[in-house]
Amino acid sequence: MNPHVITAKSTLDKKSKINNTLLERHQRNGNYFWRIISLLSVFLILGIIGFVMKLNSGFSDKVIWGYYAAMFAFILTTAQAAPMVAIAPRLAKAHWRRPISRTAEIWSIVGLFNLILFIPILWVLPSLEDRRRSLWFWDAAPGFESVPVFSPHIWTTLALCSLVFIGIMLLWLSALPDLALIRDKGTGWQQKVAKKLSKNWIGTSKQWHWLYHRLGILGALYFAMMVFVHFLISIDFLLVLVPGWIDALLPITHAANALQAGVATMMLTMFCLRKFGGYKDYIGYDQVWGLGKLLFALSLLWFWFWFSSFNVFWYGKKPNELSVIDLLTTGPYLIIFIGVFILNFVFPLFMMIWNPVRRSFWGPPLIAVGVIIGTFLDRIRLYVAAYSVPGIGDPNVSKHALPTNSLPAHLPEISDIFIMLGYISGSILVFMLATKIIPVINIWEQREVTMYEVHKKFHRTEVKILGKPD
Amino acid sequence: MKRSIIGLFLDENLAADALDDLRKAGYTMDEYEVLTGLPYPEGTFGEDEPKHKLYRWPLFGAVCGFIMGFMITAGTQVAYPLVTGGKPVLGVPPMAIIMYEGTMLGAIIFTIIGVVFESRLPRIFMGAYDTRITEGYIGVTVTTSEDKIEEAEKILNKIGAEDIKRGWE
Repeated sequence: MNPHVITAKSTLDKKSKINNTLLERHQRNGNYFWRIISLLSVFLILGIIGFVMKLNSGFSDKVIWGYYAAMFAFILTTAQAAPMVAIAPRLAKAHWRRPISRTAEIWSIVGLFNLILFIPILWVLPSLEDRRRSLWFWDAAPGFESVPVFSPHIWTTLALCSLVFIGIMLLWLSALPDLALIRDKGTGWQQKVAKKLSKNWIGTSKQWHWLYHRLGILGALYFAMMVFVHFLISIDFLLVLVPGWIDALLPITHAANALQAGVATMMLTMFCLRKFGGYKDYIGYDQVWGLGKLLFALSLLWFWFWFSSFNVFWYGKKPNELSVIDLLTTGPYLIIFIGVFILNFVFPLFMMIWNPVRRSFWGPPLIAVGVIIGTFLDRIRLYVAAYSVPGIGDPNVSKHALPTNSLPAHLPEISDIFIMLGYISGSILVFMLATKIIPVINIWEQREVTMYEVHKKFHRTEVKILGKPD
Repeated sequence: MKRSIIGLFLDENLAADALDDLRKAGYTMDEYEVLTGLPYPEGTFGEDEPKHKLYRWPLFGAVCGFIMGFMITAGTQVAYPLVTGGKPVLGVPPMAIIMYEGTMLGAIIFTIIGVVFESRLPRIFMGAYDTRITEGYIGVTVTTSEDKIEEAEKILNKIGAEDIKRGWE
């Protein structure tokens, strides 16, 4: 037999093994999976109950919606930022991201869930007629009367819809070859769904070529849109609600926090897939270290952004600035702020410079848990504080200065706790259900790397040689 | 009437040879295609580099979106030309936000349209296909007129295709 054909047969066996293993895992219906789904569904129902309880109180009292807004921002900051872990290393052609890129992209579908939950916030946020400062120059001077009073609502909704749409397109495109595999080799309802979703994919050279270009362009658009959504949310739904809070760095701080929390979300997801999902052979040190370095750098960046903003207020010491510092940092939410500072900066910094932790499978995910909790607390600190400012929506209350007396901390009610549980559980539920339709590990990218990867003996050790297609 | 056949190969070199022979026999680039379950580097099979114009779509969309954003904002202000304190009628800072969003929305909408258009979706004539492609086999499909299909089949056989499947059977 032709020696080329013998080599090709062994390569084919290797590719088939990857196909069969990952396909079998994808189609497997474990008991644990459905038990977790049931548990999450119960929490989601609790969340819906909490939401109905909130609805009974109406939209006029803004303070009671603070935790709801914080949860929306939390999911935007974590789940909707996770796809960046697939986008950035793919653009940089980093091989280590292959086993985790699909997982990151699947998080984009949670954006749809968050988009639905964004609708009530549109009712909570008053129109610009309450004469708060805004981006939109509504009625700022003659000639600006025609600016719609609901500009924040209109433009943020459009931006958020675009972000969700691009995320889902990105996921669908990246999954097309794997859906075709399920269409050809899968069974049951998953095969039927895959058949519908991958109708035209047959794997011509042109289709592969276009796939690469589309992934690149949509990835870049996702990043641009994500930053823009954070810009609008952090200004229109947070900063302008607090009189005297003028911080040009807040939008980019909000977006940078999202990158940090997105990486942490992926780190934790990756750990769960390795530990409980049966993907130990695919998720290894390369991925933990690759993400660990990013998490470390982004944690340092967290401090830089926070300190740059804080320093201006603290050094300026104008009455308004002191009031803002009191509200957000040193006042009623001081304990929460200390928690945020430790979990988002101190803990990652000192743990990641400690080799036994950094070079372990459990260390970076543990830090990631801290970062996620820190981000959760940070969103509560900012959004609950902002929504508790009196006079939001009332044009008769001055929007130029905070009240001189310190505002009390707004503690969560039972409905808030239900909403928090429901929001987080609902997001994980959507993610887990999506993994039943789309393989959580990118099968075609896993097979692709077998073409370029060779293990070779190098003196007394063995090294991995990776080829680059371009 | 068009007919389509597919030859399946295990070895990349044989698939590349098949393409060479098809080209020599006078088949054009539109008549043959390589199907793979993996993204092989461009030119692996000696095929021509696919041309696409996808990059034009977001650019064109961005320009349209920017113009739309500009017209919405400038149009409203020019419609009520009230000059205050000698300041210009057009307020650039609020306009810039809407123009940016218009630009982004235009780029996104046109990219999506471009993706559908450039992919030639929906593909009406799928041609011959075999599910072994997703296993790792390499398929060479020839989609051509009825009178030329027999010769193509001979070429694929001669090169050493593992299996040949006729799309119409």
